[in-house]
Amino acid sequence: MKTIGWIAAAGLAAAALVQSANAADLEQLKEQGFARVAIANEPPYTAVGADGKVSGAAPDIAREVFKRLGVPEIVASVSEYGAMIPGLQARRFDAVTAGLFMKPERCAAVSYSEPILCDAEAFLVKKGNPMGFKSFKDIADNADAKIGAPGGGTEEKLALEAGVPRNRVIVVPDGQSGLKMLQDGRIDVYSLPVLSLNDLKKKSGDDGIEVMAPVEGAPVYCDGTAFRKQDTALRDAYDKVLAEMKESGEFAKIIEPYGFSAAAAMSTSREKLCKG
Amino acid sequence: MEWDWDFVWKIMPTLIEGVKITIIATLLGSVLSTVVGLAIALLRRSPTRLISMPVSFAAEFIRGTPLLVQLYFIFYVLPDFGILLPPLVAGVIGLGLHYGTYTAEVYRAGIDNVPRGQWEAAKACNLTGGQTWTHVILPQAIPPMIPALANYFIAMFKETPLLSVITVLELMNQAKSVANSYYRYVEPMTLVGAFFLTISLLSVFGLRWLEKRYGRIER
Repeated sequence: MKTIGWIAAAGLAAAALVQSANAADLEQLKEQGFARVAIANEPPYTAVGADGKVSGAAPDIAREVFKRLGVPEIVASVSEYGAMIPGLQARRFDAVTAGLFMKPERCAAVSYSEPILCDAEAFLVKKGNPMGFKSFKDIADNADAKIGAPGGGTEEKLALEAGVPRNRVIVVPDGQSGLKMLQDGRIDVYSLPVLSLNDLKKKSGDDGIEVMAPVEGAPVYCDGTAFRKQDTALRDAYDKVLAEMKESGEFAKIIEPYGFSAAAAMSTSREKLCKG
Repeated sequence: MEWDWDFVWKIMPTLIEGVKITIIATLLGSVLSTVVGLAIALLRRSPTRLISMPVSFAAEFIRGTPLLVQLYFIFYVLPDFGILLPPLVAGVIGLGLHYGTYTAEVYRAGIDNVPRGQWEAAKACNLTGGQTWTHVILPQAIPPMIPALANYFIAMFKETPLLSVITVLELMNQAKSVANSYYRYVEPMTLVGAFFLTISLLSVFGLRWLEKRYGRIER
């Protein structure tokens, strides 16, 4: 075991050397002409169309901000929520624009921009909410209840924090699988933010399910664009443009068609949200 | 980023839970593939083409499609036909069927290797078909196959991380969920590799022993 540790350490040292040679800053992004961002394919936050076109409120904002910063294009890759911060740290992406909600432990790991998309948590349940879930605590108290949540997502953490044991928190790979697992009765409740579940329910066209929102005891969360911890210069430049767009109303113009409230994002701040 | 031993000890219990599931899935999958493989091998030899043809076709079909696709099918599509299996059961069936088609080939080779004279001798002794199989052919055919079968079980063991896509909380899935909570991949993934390596190496020693014990046949 010790030797394995050493080998891993040697590999990491090598990786660190390679990394320090390509710190991401705005100049570099301008030069290469694009920024790499992580998305999740969870409409309306992030969406990849059948033709491969990336849309959704979060990438749309990022595209516009980067354009104003002189970076003409974003290149998005779909990733699991849990893999986003490690991927960011490993320099697979330059930013995360995926509805990754600000929570204190995430703020400690990355540099967030000011808030962009705000939403409350919701449950997708069978029609009439047969098990009567109102909060994550209700799920913890019902020994038969299984909850589906995205791996490494806010909902998974909220469920575990509320005391739902690990074996009843089913890690669901994507929205479609979550919907199918709920319809098949593999899970009793599927948790995502309100707008995501509304979108999922609408697309499914299934009348046998309903959205229970908002979840009691779970506050409204806001996401921001996440940058590497050390890339604060890039983040500050991003914030400046974002603030201008909020001021001019262009911010609202982009996110409100998706159902997000610009007022909610503007009424709070990173400082407040990161405190938890 | 550096190697953090405290973190290693903290996540160890979670990973060991995953190792247990991985081992259970492999063992059950091995048993199922042994039985399925034998059944396929025997049915393919059936003189009735109505039996041998469909079985051959099904075996080739399963062998020719990826395990990952089969797992998705068993887990997400079968419920549409009213068959709802728990994740682990679905995973074991997927592994067992997929590897059963491989082991069927091992059985076929083993059976073909029994000298023709044995079949003729059985006939000369007036043994029935069933008696010929159970008392003459299989006892001679199976021991030489054991090392080859065991080889497939090691291969199957290393394929169990695929079960993570159908929400089985095996080693890989546990490691991913640990990585998801702490934003660290180094320790969990290194440990997953170490666990697999340790168990594979132990199995290889077992395999060597099996080869010594059963691999050679005196003729």
